Amino acid sequence: MHKYILKRIFLSVFTLLAITLVLFTLLQFMPGSPFNDEKLTDDQRTVLNAKYGLDQPVYVQFGKYVSNMVQGDFGVSYNISKNTPISQLIQTRLPVSIRIGGMAVGLGAIVGLIFGVIAALNHNTFWDTLCTAVSVLGVSVPSYVFALALSYTFGFRLSWLPMLYSSKAEFASSVMPSIALGMFTMASIARFTRTEMLEVLGSDYMLLAESKGISGAPLILRHALRNAMIPIITVLAPLIVDLMTGSLVVEKIFSIPGVGSLLVTAIQSNDYNVVISLSFIYSAMYIGIMLVVDLLYGLIDPRIRITKEGGNA
Amino acid sequence: MSELSVSHPLTGDAFLPDDFELRGSTPAEVDSNFASQNYWKDVFKRFVSNKGAIVSLVVILLLCLLAAFGPKMTGYTYATQTLSEKNFAPRVPGLEKFGIFDGNEALRTTSGVKIINGYTQKGLTDTYYWFGSDTLGRDIWTRVWEGTRISLSIAVLAAVIDMIIGMSYGLISGYFGGRVDNIMQRIAEIINGIPRLVVVTLLMLVLPRGFATIVFALLITEWIGMSRIARAEMLKLKEQEFVLASRTLGAKDFTIIFREILPNIIGQIITQLMFSIPTAIFTEAFLSFVGLGIPVPMCSLGSLISDAFNSFTTHPYQIIPPIVVLACLMLCFNMLADGLREAFDPKLKEM
Amino acid sequence: MTTKTREKVLEIRDLSISFSTTAGTVNAIRGVDMDLYRGETLAIVGESGSGKSVTAKATMGILAKNGNVESGSILYTYQHEGAPKTVQILEMKKRDMRRHINGKRIAMIFQDPMTSLDPTMPIGKQIMEGMIWHYKTTKKEAYEKAVELLTEVGIDEPEKRMKQYPHQLSGGMRQRVVIAIALACDPELLICDEPTTALDVTIQAKILELIQKIQQERGISVIYITHDLGVVAKVADYVNVMYAGRIVEKGTIDEIFLDPRHPYTWGLLSAMPDLDMEDDRLYTIPGSPPNLLHPVQGDAFSPRNVYALNIDDRREPPMFQISESHYAATWLLDEHAPKVALPPELQVRIDRMKKEGVR
Repeated sequence: MHKYILKRIFLSVFTLLAITLVLFTLLQFMPGSPFNDEKLTDDQRTVLNAKYGLDQPVYVQFGKYVSNMVQGDFGVSYNISKNTPISQLIQTRLPVSIRIGGMAVGLGAIVGLIFGVIAALNHNTFWDTLCTAVSVLGVSVPSYVFALALSYTFGFRLSWLPMLYSSKAEFASSVMPSIALGMFTMASIARFTRTEMLEVLGSDYMLLAESKGISGAPLILRHALRNAMIPIITVLAPLIVDLMTGSLVVEKIFSIPGVGSLLVTAIQSNDYNVVISLSFIYSAMYIGIMLVVDLLYGLIDPRIRITKEGGNA
Repeated sequence: MSELSVSHPLTGDAFLPDDFELRGSTPAEVDSNFASQNYWKDVFKRFVSNKGAIVSLVVILLLCLLAAFGPKMTGYTYATQTLSEKNFAPRVPGLEKFGIFDGNEALRTTSGVKIINGYTQKGLTDTYYWFGSDTLGRDIWTRVWEGTRISLSIAVLAAVIDMIIGMSYGLISGYFGGRVDNIMQRIAEIINGIPRLVVVTLLMLVLPRGFATIVFALLITEWIGMSRIARAEMLKLKEQEFVLASRTLGAKDFTIIFREILPNIIGQIITQLMFSIPTAIFTEAFLSFVGLGIPVPMCSLGSLISDAFNSFTTHPYQIIPPIVVLACLMLCFNMLADGLREAFDPKLKEM
Repeated sequence: MTTKTREKVLEIRDLSISFSTTAGTVNAIRGVDMDLYRGETLAIVGESGSGKSVTAKATMGILAKNGNVESGSILYTYQHEGAPKTVQILEMKKRDMRRHINGKRIAMIFQDPMTSLDPTMPIGKQIMEGMIWHYKTTKKEAYEKAVELLTEVGIDEPEKRMKQYPHQLSGGMRQRVVIAIALACDPELLICDEPTTALDVTIQAKILELIQKIQQERGISVIYITHDLGVVAKVADYVNVMYAGRIVEKGTIDEIFLDPRHPYTWGLLSAMPDLDMEDDRLYTIPGSPPNLLHPVQGDAFSPRNVYALNIDDRREPPMFQISESHYAATWLLDEHAPKVALPPELQVRIDRMKKEGVR
């Protein structure tokens, strides 16, 4: 088990390092950084290069870059707000994004699970068709379409919820973005749960459990759901990543002061340093989530757990 | 026994004269369990019986037709700007008499609802914008189908190239196994470890914006899923007898991979291809929405939605057509793919 | 064995079951009658798809959702507070069935021990679950009884095994665990659905002996479902031969093995591998069973039957009674039918069995 964890951690760190290298390389070619400014004289450029350590060999620069990134020093923003440290920009925005993302994942996972279980238990009935239809719709329609529809209906026409994000009403203004964002997660989990549950329900061990006389909730919770949950956890990681992508657009629509809208603004105003820093943060979060889910999977599935401990399997 | 016509004591039925003679040989063996089952015929039958998939296919074909001919139907072009005719609500000849699509638009302000009509205000009796006109006075009908054409082209092109790359990668990795597989899988794992969002964003920053760049960005992120499926299927199939047989007969690796194994997994590949088209459409729309899409004056569904978003509370008719087309495309491709998957793998349905 | 009064445990009458599939309706069981008496062993023999397992699952009330009972009844009699009580299994609510019959009265052992245990639950818990569920046994008592059961089914270090997961055990061990689970609530009827098919030959005999030992100790009735006549010869008192959803021949073990009347039974007996056989070719029945998606015209076995009469293609044969316990459904038993001799190879084999005994 320890060997497995170490291997996974090593691979994750290596991936992050590879990404950092790509980002670093890109940064060297980006227009708009102070080092490429045409107005600078050669002397000024030398001074600047010395100041930023650019006169040193590339691998030293890269080492310094990595250590800066890890310490949360991402440099300064050029265009969005001149010379503000990026870490400062991110600090206030990250919690907002994480809260809305977390709400979306929670909502999507729980509702999706319930939908999937209902559909599987009532296979080939009206409920199954309804759940399948809802989940096909949720998977097919992009989150920003939901966001726009919600925003127009409940924000603009009915005025039930704030159309734009306001820090004074954090919860109320997080509801619509979370629903819009969680729709895809919900639909995917519902679909996947349905398939997994159907497979489990048709398995021999369910038949054995039934022939033992177990029925009702214990049968579903103890035997069916437990087994169906294991593969469901694996799809949760990629879903969280899709959520990150969706958050860019949803944050823009609801004017949420989060990381996603910062990235959009940075892209649109060509603030490369911010784009690259945020890319690093997104990658780090993504890799972290993948790692956690992988390890979680190993913990939950006894087949993996025992084998990795070197049991007599 | 020759003149037998008594009724049987147990069943009460009449017998025929030769009933109790040995029939002799068993009839020629036609194995009814397997004889009539042609795999592709079965797949086709199952697919056709899936109503959702058929309707989706029809809708997709219809949208393709509109994407091909729609822009030529109104006399406008997607780039023509008529600034004096901006923000006109939809007006369709014929329908206008029924009080719908008559160019009226309700403006909601704090003081109440006000009905305005751009056509009558400007005194244009013979001007029709079927879906209305946008903030620069361009015909939305033309632009929507132009955008559909571009979005679809990008998606299909990207999905097909993805399929070729991913399939080859997965098949080769799975077939050779061992060290080759190990290295190829680690590489794929690292590429997969980079969020799609980051890859696409960075690429779009480095490369000039345009059609080819978007296709390229979709390529490098989407092939992994396809390669996984191809590899998994390969691992399942390569130990089977028909592969062994063809290897014993001296077939080369290349022949085995692409002539023997590929036809057996083509079902899964096609299904996955259909699933990757909506993903590509979505990613393109997303890129356009954050400002990394097709450069103006060209348009895609994403860029249309993005443009119309800024005025979607005042002129909702501008954002509805591209959103409806986008949602329809995504939905139909997903349902088509679902139908194909069930047709290829009936177990999924009968569990 | 027929001298003392026999207590009927299970009575199946005219059972017909169909399955609705996307390809159409499959008539898996077409009018099955079956009887089982207390303490006795009944074997149901037939090829795959002949409806053996469906009959068993209907008895357990665990038919797949697309299965429909077209007609018939299943009467089950058990001891309730000292007096026999009879229930109509097919008319019971699923909930009552699970509460009062499954596990407690009738238990089942499945074919593949690799898939019939819950992979995410320790085996101890799987054994204890039924006891706690049915009898509200305390955890401690259930644990002790589970350890006892594991010992009884021949698993060493039972305490250590209790905590293990199914994938940590070998196939034979897992089947022993499945047996322990089946015995946990002291059932009166044990249904074994191909209990040894998925196991190594060396382990097969041990599992059969274990089931026999348990049957004798506990005095329970057992139904064996198998396609292996070798297994039947070892364990059964009575044999029902099934073909294409019907019983084609039934009788005591001696009647079936030494005086078979149905050509299909002849085929099955001839196809048994045998060390003493002089002929080194293994006999097989030509063709394959009919597809029950289509209605069966005449005798379902007719297309594969070398001894078929013309009437077989037209009309399904009724059950002819041969002795008090021996029945067969073949027109060859009709008074008008020509006398047909057994296949010579089979005759040789039967003569030898008569000398050496069936078992």
